[in-house]
Amino acid sequence: MMETDACIHPYPVGTASVRRMAMEAGALGFGSIVVPGEVAGVYHGVRIIPAVIISETDLRRVIGQIRRHSNSGNLVFVDAGDNGFNRAVLAQKGLNAIRCLHQIPKKAFDHISARLAYENSIAVEIDLYPLIHEKGIFRQRVLNRYNDLMRLHSRYQFPLILSSNAFSVLDLRSPDEIRLLCSLFGMEKDDTNWALQTVSTLISPVESVMVAP
Amino acid sequence: MKPRPPTMREKRRYLLLRIDPPTPDPDPKDLYFSVLDSVTSLYGDAEAARMMPVVISCGSGYAVVRCIRGYEEKLRIAIVTLTSVTERRIALHAVATSGTLLALRRRVSGLSPVRFETISPLHFRDREYTARRYQGQKVDLQEKGINRQELLFLTQDDLEGL
Repeated sequence: MMETDACIHPYPVGTASVRRMAMEAGALGFGSIVVPGEVAGVYHGVRIIPAVIISETDLRRVIGQIRRHSNSGNLVFVDAGDNGFNRAVLAQKGLNAIRCLHQIPKKAFDHISARLAYENSIAVEIDLYPLIHEKGIFRQRVLNRYNDLMRLHSRYQFPLILSSNAFSVLDLRSPDEIRLLCSLFGMEKDDTNWALQTVSTLISPVESVMVAP
Repeated sequence: MKPRPPTMREKRRYLLLRIDPPTPDPDPKDLYFSVLDSVTSLYGDAEAARMMPVVISCGSGYAVVRCIRGYEEKLRIAIVTLTSVTERRIALHAVATSGTLLALRRRVSGLSPVRFETISPLHFRDREYTARRYQGQKVDLQEKGINRQELLFLTQDDLEGL
């Protein structure tokens, strides 16, 4: 399975074109990248996986947007919110991943949210951007949050995805570098390898097969 | 003074780093302070003192950094979190680790030097840029100006598509 950077932001949001991002990601060792608002394609041997990021806080609108985009061929990501919001969103079919967990209060993603994520095969995004770009207390908070997330993951085994959220080619990190960064918050190498490949299973989920007698 | 015998010296590890973007080369002293800052902010003063990171050389798109043996992984993690050298955006990617400088120098001599041509001026989206075209499709655009010099990373296909 291909190793995937689960979210990058090319030009005009970032400072690098999607082709350049794909070229650099391929050189670093990725087989595919997830790009919000982009069309599917292959540049320089790297697969572009389109995605939609829903950043609303109103639950009805979020659910409406999930339903609208769920069969559009895009991966659907939702920014996490408070506890009730997260539980409601994680019960929705068609959602692929929940993101920005480092920006919400610690109790907003608890053991019930973790179980819901596992039951509905909704991935939880680990954003590496703040680990690379923040320092001091802000990075300590993010590390603390991810440590807590890993504790929940070891108990509930919900899927994880890893993203650099790169706005430039200078923000991209190779799979090896990501493995090293993840060791900062106690993520095992096997878990990191699995998380790097989770996007492939989100695109084509494994479904049970009924064998006719 | 008689030098300390090799068996009594601390073992060291040398890391070969690729600098991105490769030009212009950062000042080795500035790079050293940036590496030290990254190590200190991530692991603290005590660990930085044990690690003893030093920039040995820097040029032609590559840098060699040294640390005490056993700390190379921590140094690599700290280098992953390095994002700028004196306000210039930069990324460092570890290419190789070795116990001797000679091995890394051989490795660098085997790598092809970074070649580019400069195109100036180049107009992109109503702005004027200086372009550096590297081998293999890569084109970096540096905006001309005094206050805000935007740096864009494109490919040859992007420019031809204009």
